[in-house]
Amino acid sequence: MKFGKRLKQQMQDTLPEWRDNFLSYKELKQLIRFMSSTENGSIEYGKAEAEFVYLLNNEIEKFNAFFMEKEEDFIIRNKELQQRIQRVTETWGQKGTHPSETEYKQGMANIRNDMVNFHGEMVLLINYSNINYTGLAKILKKYDKRTGGLLRLPFIQKVLQQPFFTTDLISKLVKECESTIEEVFPAAVEEERKSMGSCEMTLVGEGIFRNTVAALLTMREIRSGSSTYSNFSLPPLSLAESEPVQSIPLNSPIPIL
Amino acid sequence: MEIGNELCLPKEIVFGKEGFDIFATFIVKGFDTMEQSVHEGPQVECTHIRRIDSDANETHSDSHLNYVPCFFGLLILGFLVEIFGPNMDGHPAISIQRLCAREFANLDASGAQSSSLPVISSTAVGKIQKLSGSHQVSMDRDFVKDPLVFHSNSISSNDDVIGSTTASHCTRANSSYSWPVDSLPGFHDFSGQNPVQSSQMQSNGSSADIMINEDLSKRNYWQEWADQLITDDETLNSNWNEFLVDVNVIDMGPKMSYQVSKPSSNLSNQEKHSQQQLSVMSAEVNAVVGPSSSAASAPTKLRMRWTPELHEAFVEAVKKLGGCEKATPKGVLKLMNVEGLTIYHVKSHLQKYRTARCRPESSEGPSDKKSTPLAELSSLDLKTGMDLTEALQLQMEVQKQLHEQLEIQRNLQLRIEEQGRYLQQMFDKQYKSGLNKLNDPSPTEPFAQTTDALCNLPPKNDPQVSPIQEEKAQQEPVPGKPASEENSEKSEWAANGPETKTTNDDDPPGIGPSNFQQSKHLKS
Repeated sequence: MKFGKRLKQQMQDTLPEWRDNFLSYKELKQLIRFMSSTENGSIEYGKAEAEFVYLLNNEIEKFNAFFMEKEEDFIIRNKELQQRIQRVTETWGQKGTHPSETEYKQGMANIRNDMVNFHGEMVLLINYSNINYTGLAKILKKYDKRTGGLLRLPFIQKVLQQPFFTTDLISKLVKECESTIEEVFPAAVEEERKSMGSCEMTLVGEGIFRNTVAALLTMREIRSGSSTYSNFSLPPLSLAESEPVQSIPLNSPIPIL
Repeated sequence: MEIGNELCLPKEIVFGKEGFDIFATFIVKGFDTMEQSVHEGPQVECTHIRRIDSDANETHSDSHLNYVPCFFGLLILGFLVEIFGPNMDGHPAISIQRLCAREFANLDASGAQSSSLPVISSTAVGKIQKLSGSHQVSMDRDFVKDPLVFHSNSISSNDDVIGSTTASHCTRANSSYSWPVDSLPGFHDFSGQNPVQSSQMQSNGSSADIMINEDLSKRNYWQEWADQLITDDETLNSNWNEFLVDVNVIDMGPKMSYQVSKPSSNLSNQEKHSQQQLSVMSAEVNAVVGPSSSAASAPTKLRMRWTPELHEAFVEAVKKLGGCEKATPKGVLKLMNVEGLTIYHVKSHLQKYRTARCRPESSEGPSDKKSTPLAELSSLDLKTGMDLTEALQLQMEVQKQLHEQLEIQRNLQLRIEEQGRYLQQMFDKQYKSGLNKLNDPSPTEPFAQTTDALCNLPPKNDPQVSPIQEEKAQQEPVPGKPASEENSEKSEWAANGPETKTTNDDDPPGIGPSNFQQSKHLKS
């Protein structure tokens, strides 16, 4: 399947408020098609070329804006979750001011729920960044190929520096989140695995979990082998066979609510 | 870089003198109407302008505001050229492009300046297409915002900053960020050389009229034009107000670290952030025009990248001021005392903070649960009988997996680009040396050196990469051209490469080309 379709699919599967912030792959491709059909020196060609670059820059701005906005949100949420843990422990914990087992458990369960979703959203943001980058790389490659231009390399170097691609901070937050969860909510891992392997699950709605699974599957498909393999292509995704992901069907025929 | 030239207006746009007159009157008329509208405009705007004008001539802000209109004139010239150009064929030449370019060349010592207008034109062209087509409003926001961005950037940066960044940016790939900076030296010099300019322009006829008239009316004209395009007029006006206020606010702070068009330094600043203590913080501001979706959002044209440390300082400040309800943006801004931070950044951040804090705070109790994800999870429960914990665990697993894969993918992408860049450098070097060698037809040795150098690239020891290396090694045989698709010349070299390597190689011939492929892939 082609990238454009995959991107569309991913956009459909993604969280609703994110949909408009993905790459306008189709428009860019149309511009390239137009350019390769018109004469090289003509006015229309020049205009299309200028518009292509303009659109590219616009897209980058769009990504940056969305990404930084989300990043800011995550920074705030991260701090909030940490503070909540503190507060719950201090108030209802065993050594706290009003020790209460039930309240403590409840509070912690809420926090755990929120943390897992928080983690999920952050990972989805990184996925967002990545898929848009991939799209950009592809469209630039197409551009160079069809028009014989030399836009790709310098442009991609510029993209690499952009805020939306420099996801180090978010990655760090994700790892912190993981370690906090493991610390605060230790769980028995082996039992989980057993039950996970045998269960049949269907995912409903547009929640984070669904999107994550969708993202993983899309990623694997995008990388599953390219007709134009070159030095700039990524190798196929290696997911271990026994991963729970594979056993999760995405589209439920029977809505459950 | 060839990019800039490639994308500039390919031909000179020739303007007949007649056409130019029409064009000039059009602009002047526009300016007149602008002037009217500004006096009718909101009070704040007028007083602001008056205040600035009444200052002594030496003040920065005054001269800056004068520059703004002047440069607009040139911008508009560039824009409108596209509209009028095609109609003016066959007339005796006053070449607009040459005119503008010449002016720019006069304004700035560095010859690179002359490339800035083509750069501008090409980005402008795209915008003009949208505008002149059917007065569509689609690109309006960006269209209007860009000059505003450009304003605040140009006004706030120092000469030094510009001097250093201009040269590097004239040669960069075309970007809408670069032109504000490029044009800035022109800005400062322009008013200084006004008499010279006007005398030069006299010879070109009515263009002088334009330049002289535009001073006061330029921004009014712009506003009027923009008003026609923007659906949400209020936003625009408020944007203008904020912007004008912003000018002064920004101007007062000499030590702004505005990252206008050097994206690389953004990254280094970000890294610095994560290591710096609170006391030594400086805000990193990206001159990014974010297309704000809601009309009510704060009209910050400059987007700031928050970090956990900055947020810590913010939280501290808010705490001192008595909590998120009582704290005011101004107070927080003062307390934080971070350079480069504006009240708009604080305002929007405070808003977010309040939303995040004050809602879940009231629902800390046992009764609260976030409905959406929980509903989803409980739907899973119904189906499978899995309890909440297990569902969460599963979710975590999947998320962790995705994250891991994303990290791997990102690293690969970085390495691929790095290698591609390295390859290109090597090819360029070889090509140049090949040219210099006066028809020395021995591509084998240089290329063998290239490949050896590639093989010697220190591979980053990444445990995640090793399974991927094996995967690559098991790939189907790839096409024989290992070269990047960048350059046809390069591919010629590359085509020669594997073949020659095969003959010279000690390895069995059949493996030659694919071996070459493998070695390159293994390094990536």
